[in-house]
Parts: sequence; structure tokens; C-alpha cells
Amino acid sequence: MRTNEGAARGPATSVRRHTLAFVVAWLAATALAFWIVSGTEFNPPGGSAEAAIIDEAFRFLALLAVPVFTFVLVGLAYSVVVFRRSGPPGDDPRPLPEPRGVALGWIVVTSALAIFVIVNPGLTGMAALGWFEDRRPDLVVRVEGQQWSWNITYDGYGVTVPKATELVLPRDRRVRFIVTSKDVIHSLWIPAFRVKIDAVPGIETTADATPNRLGSFDADPLYRLQCAELCGTGHARMTARVRVVEQAEFERQMASLRAEAGR
Amino acid sequence: MIRGLAGALAGYAVGAALVAAIRALTGVDPLAAEPLVVAGFPFALIGWLLGVGVWQAWAREWVGLDARPAAPPGWRRYFAYSTDHKVIGVQYLVTFTVIFLLAGLSALLLRVELAAPGQAILPPATYNQVMSLHGILMIAVAVSVIIAGFGNYLVPLLIGAEDMAFPRLNALSYWLIPPVALLLLTSTVLGGWDSGWTGYAPLSERNRVGQIFFNLSFILVGLSSIIGGLNFLVTIIRLRAPGMTWGRLPIFVWGIFLTSLMSAVFTQSVAVAMLLTLLDRVFGTGFFAAARGGSPLLYENLFWFYSHPAVYVMIIPGWVLALEVLPHFARRALFAYRWAVGGLAGVVALSGVVWIHHMFTSGVPFVFLPVFLATTELISIPTGVIFLSALGTLWLGRLWLRTPMLFAIAVFFNFLIGGITGIFLADVPTDVQLQDTYFVVAHFHYTIVGGEIFGLFAGIYYWFPKITGRMYDERLGQLHFWWMFIAFNLTFFPMFGLGLAGMNRRIADYDAALANTNLFVSIASFALGASFLVFLWNVIVSWTRGPMAQANPWRARTLEWQTSSPPPLENFPVPPTVVAGPYEYGTGRAHAVLGGAAGGDD
Ligand SMILES: [Cu+2]
Ligand SMILES: [Cu+2]
Repeated sequence: MRTNEGAARGPATSVRRHTLAFVVAWLAATALAFWIVSGTEFNPPGGSAEAAIIDEAFRFLALLAVPVFTFVLVGLAYSVVVFRRSGPPGDDPRPLPEPRGVALGWIVVTSALAIFVIVNPGLTGMAALGWFEDRRPDLVVRVEGQQWSWNITYDGYGVTVPKATELVLPRDRRVRFIVTSKDVIHSLWIPAFRVKIDAVPGIETTADATPNRLGSFDADPLYRLQCAELCGTGHARMTARVRVVEQAEFERQMASLRAEAGR
Repeated sequence: MIRGLAGALAGYAVGAALVAAIRALTGVDPLAAEPLVVAGFPFALIGWLLGVGVWQAWAREWVGLDARPAAPPGWRRYFAYSTDHKVIGVQYLVTFTVIFLLAGLSALLLRVELAAPGQAILPPATYNQVMSLHGILMIAVAVSVIIAGFGNYLVPLLIGAEDMAFPRLNALSYWLIPPVALLLLTSTVLGGWDSGWTGYAPLSERNRVGQIFFNLSFILVGLSSIIGGLNFLVTIIRLRAPGMTWGRLPIFVWGIFLTSLMSAVFTQSVAVAMLLTLLDRVFGTGFFAAARGGSPLLYENLFWFYSHPAVYVMIIPGWVLALEVLPHFARRALFAYRWAVGGLAGVVALSGVVWIHHMFTSGVPFVFLPVFLATTELISIPTGVIFLSALGTLWLGRLWLRTPMLFAIAVFFNFLIGGITGIFLADVPTDVQLQDTYFVVAHFHYTIVGGEIFGLFAGIYYWFPKITGRMYDERLGQLHFWWMFIAFNLTFFPMFGLGLAGMNRRIADYDAALANTNLFVSIASFALGASFLVFLWNVIVSWTRGPMAQANPWRARTLEWQTSSPPPLENFPVPPTVVAGPYEYGTGRAHAVLGGAAGGDD
């Protein structure tokens, strides 16, 4: 043991040097990555109040991931570059003692991070989406999936469109989709609104979205009602266009759909 | 094998005739396809197993005859029923490597179709079938290749045992696999099935007859995996060499132990889901059919209750293989060994309580969402410990960057991306958008291919000299690594972007706005496919003509390197005694000595 102490002084200073160099490289990489991430639009423009909340959650998680990502990345890269040896191993060095408390400290930090993301943006995001309270919708739209099209009923307007090619919605109204299926499992997804809920035969599922931007499929392909759950041959093309209009225009649309159905 | 096929046909004839007769007597159409297949199947399976070697080497004893060893000598033993764990390990490895390459080819077919919007070579129905086939083949590879291949070959060696605890069961679990390949092939000939590897009911109860072959083969893979898992558990508990305490167990063995625990506990659940689907189809029961009072969500719950733990059955062997390689090529102890074992155990413990994260948008009762959000995010804590162990082992080591080491380090780079993107999928609000998109496709390919399959290749190169007795070509090995590593990232990283841009998964066609990225991904996927040609060339040439390998070319401490390459039948000339930990480089003390005497040196 005596000889070990004397010999350890040399390695100890080089350990400190490597640690310092690593920390500097990590901080630099983190700064660079923060700059890149904060300048990146991860999500395409949204079209609903919910989209803003979900995209914000995404952005927050991306920023939070940066220091973790760079820590491991720089750790791997630094080791590979600095600690590589060209030839086969000669005599192996005496083992270094494992520094005490590193594992415990690591677990404390990662636990704190994990609990943090559970709360925010996990639970806070769900709260912001209004999932913990009973918000009243302004409009109820019933959607029934079948292989491979959507049947849409606008509640309170007496309008049902079988095998709909278009879903029309008013702007700034909280819309509740009540969803089911005639045959197999489908999934209602409107990418622009960041809303998705499965259409399950035998039960009704619900999801809310509040469109806040006028738009249509022709201008933005994310304005589409898309089946997101594998449902057979026609799955990829099980879509309907989505159009968001002002309330007055929406009322006109409903009237003309009603007239069409009456004829 | 011919005898096995004959046995299978005979068995099938018996089973099918039985059912046809019963149906004829009760006055229903005696030749309906599905009941005949489903009823003939167990008989065919028994016929196959008896024919392939179970009768010769095992079942003769049941009727008072002497069992005969079925394995011929030389290379032909790899094609015959053998109870030697090393032969079975090689059989598993080669079988699944071949299936992996075939499933990879099917992925290339998909990428040809997706290279441009519109229809190129695959009509939508065919696309769905190829996609489903790709999925289940790769899942079968991923749940079995490391644990059954390297696990079988190495666990007895690493713990200083002569063989597995139940050599006959071990052979049985391997010979359940060829019928799986046969079933899936038959299904494809009959037009396949189109419900993906998840086989969600009620789609799987309404589609074509090919579906039942999927369900039957899933049950078989599961059976093989349960038997294998029990065998590993007993082997590791009972057959460790003297002195091989739990604290001296190589991390790879710990990983196989904990993985086997999951296989043995969770697999039944998916088998039940598959079986109930068959009952719904064939006997008109209503477990998953809403119109008959059943619940499609029940299927999803049963399915994911197994299939989430299954992703750890896939990834933990990849992690521990990489962790096993690191110390030998960094010439120092595995960092925080005890914590790493604890981390693996933590992942296993949590794996059973997170499955709903696959169902956040499925319509499950709302109360589940915050709970499973929390349990899922918590898994990042034990996972983080695995990363600590890897980083700590590399840090201040003396890294000898041979091909196995490169693959092992890449496991942690790839899984870093796979793991971090997993956080976005576990967080309910972001998952609402990302679920069922290419973001998910990218994420799980980063974890399973980037994590497990890179680990598999680390193992193949690391143990190649041990298994074959010959050395692979190092230059070709490194070429394979860099080629595969770069092409893999070019293929799968852009898929995150596709998902964010609104491309959902499992679609034969997509919006024209995504054309450029998809073309890029398709080209990269062909580069990825081509990298395996380098691998194949290296393996074939080296296995037949490579230079003879020494017993311990890596100067590694663990037990498999303390015997000849390849090891003799029953592994060690004299039973070893373990006297120190497996990774104590630089201490001058050996891990084990052959024979009972304690002490000795390197
Ligand atoms: Cu659908
Ligand atoms: Cu999962």
C-alpha cells in the first residue's frame, strides 16, 4: 500500500487534468447544442390551441435533453480520442480505486431529472390541455371509422356525412370528437391540431381540439383527418381533408350540407 | 431434418383428419381451412420434434428403449439434433443471423416502395404483408439472437459449467424455431397477413387465413423463449463453478439471468392473446370481438403486458454484451459493477408496470395516463446507471479499439439517441402527436438495431476466434463497423424528422411534401444493407480459411478464454475454481484456476 500512495500522486494530477478538459469540452458542446436546438423549429406550424401546448412541451424536453446528451457524447468521444492505444495491451496498469459517491450522485441527479419531466411538461402539460377538468365543448363532432373511410356527424346540426371527404370546423371553438368504429381499430389523427385518439369498435373514445388558425388541406397537408392505426389494405389512404373556417361560414356549410342530405 | 418434415406431415395428417372426421359427423363443412390448420398444427409439431431427434435421443426412454445420441461428428452436427450447448448456440446464432439478413432484405423492398410517393412496386395490400413479415421476423431475431445464441454458447463457459442444466430442453427450444420459419413462409405463400407484428384484434380476426400462421408462430417463439428462460435460470442458479459467487458473475451472465426472468414471467400473456384470437376466429368465441361482447382493448393490454418487457428482453442482452466487452478492451474493471447489476434489476422490476405507454391514445381510462407516464419516465433512472458504468469504464482506461470494442462503444452512442427520444414518447402530451408516426419507428430502430444488433456484432467479432477457432480479418471488421455505423445513422436519424413532419407509420404511400427525405432514407438504407456484404464475406472467408486463433487472443480474464478455441466437449479439461472477480485487470490475480487448488497467477 505504501508504494501505491507514492505512485498515485502522478496519476492524480493527470486525472484532474483530464477531468478539467472534459468539463470544458462538455460546457462548450452544451453551449453549441443549446444554440442549435433553440434555433430549430422541430414541429411544423400548428393549427390549434393544443398544438401550441404540445409543441412547447416538445421544445422544453429538447432543451432539457441537451446537457444529458452532450455529457454522454463528449464522455464517449473524449475517451475514444484521448485514451486510445494503438497496439495490443502490454502490462495492465494497477487498478484505480473507484471514486466514492459517484454512482450515488449520478442516481440523485438522474432521479431529479426524471421526476422533473414527469411533473413538467408531463403533468403540467396534461393540465394545460384541460385533461384534469371537465371543460364543456362548444361543438361535438361524432366520427365513426370504417374500412377505409370516415363517417362524420355534426351534433346539433342534424348533419351526417357518410364516407366524408372533408371535415369542416369553426375557428376558436373547442371541438369534442366522439369516436368509434364499425369494424376494426382505426385512429383519428389531425396532425395540424396534434390530436389523436383511437376509434375502437364497441366503445366511444373522446378527444378535444380547439382550431385557432384558418386553414385547409390544399394549403397545408397537415390539415387532414388521417387514420393512424394500421387497419388493412386502405390504411394509408384513409384520409379526409380538414378545413377551418369562421363560425358564420361554418353555419353556412352546415346549412348546405343539410340541404344536400335532404335532397 | 427430413425425418422431422416427414413427422410433421404425418402429424398434420392425423390432426387434420381427426378434425375433418369430427366436423363431418357433426354435419359442418369438413374441409374448412382454418380449423384444419389449427387442429393439425399441434400434431404436426409433435411429429416434427419426434422426427428431428427427440425420439432418437430422448423419447425412446419413455417406452423402455435405450436413447441414442443423435448428433453426428464434424460440421454435420450443426444440422442435427444436438444437446451440446455450444452446438445449439451456434445453431441459434446462424439461424437468426440468416433470418436477420432476410428480414433486412424485406425492409429494402419497403424502402424501394417508399423512395417516391405513389405506387412503385408494391400495391398497398402487398406492402402491408411485407411490412408485417419484416416486423415479426425482426422481433423474433431480437428476442432470441443474443440470449439464445451467445447465451447458450457462453453462459456455461462463463460460469465454469460443462453444459446447461437441461440439455434436452435446450435442444427442444431450438428445434421449435424452424417450424416458425416454415409457418411464416407458408403464410406468405398463402397471401400473408396484414396486421403488422402487433396483430391487433379485431383486424386479425377479419383478415385472410395467413393470419393464423402468424398467431401460431408467435405462440411457438414464446414457448421456445419460456423454455429457454427457465433453463438459463436453473443453470445460473445451480451450475456455477466453486467460488463463482453472485458478486463475481460476469455482467453478461447477470444480464441473461435477469432477461430470462422476464421471458419466464411475461411471455404467457402474449401467448394467451394469440390463442384467444385463434379461438375467436375458429370457434366463434368473442374475446376481442365487440359485436360478441368482447373487448379489443383487452387484446392490446395482453399484448403489451408482454411486449413491453419484451423490448427489455431485446435490449438488456445488447447492453450487457457491450458492458462485457468494454473492460477487456479498456484493460480495467467494469465501473460500478454492483450498481450496474442493480440498474439492470431496476429495469426488470419496472418493465412490468409501464405497458400502457403504448396505449396512451388507445382510449384506455384517463386515470392510467399520469400513472404510466410516471412509471415509464422512472425507467430512465436505472437505465442511466448502465450509462454510468459504460462511461466510467472507458474513462482513464487504455482503449484497444478493435472491432468488438468499436461496436460496443457504438451501442451507447446509438442507445443515447434512442433513449432520449424515448422521453418524448413517454411524456403523454408529446406522445399524443408522436404516437404511430415515424418518430416511433426511428426511436425503436435506434434502441433495438442501434443498441441490441450493434451489441450482437460486438459479440460476433469478440467471440469469433473462440467459437470458430479462427481469427476474423480486422481490417474488414473495422470497415464493416464504420460503414454500418454511418449508414445506420443516415437511415434512421432523418426518420425522426419525417415523424415530426406528419408521416405516420405503416403506410404504403405518403404526402408528396416528404418525398426528398424519403428518397434520402431509401438510398441510405441500401448503403446499410450493403455493409452486411462486408460482414458476410469476412465471416465466410475467415471461418473457412482464416488464421488459427490462440486460446486467448484478447488476453481477457474471463473463463471462456481459459480453455482452447474452440472449447472441447464439456468445456474445461479440469473443472475450474473461481478465485477473484472477472474484471480485476492489473492486480496480478487470475479470475479462476483450473482444478481445485486456490491461488496461482496470470
Ligand atoms: Cu383506418
Ligand atoms: Cu414499451
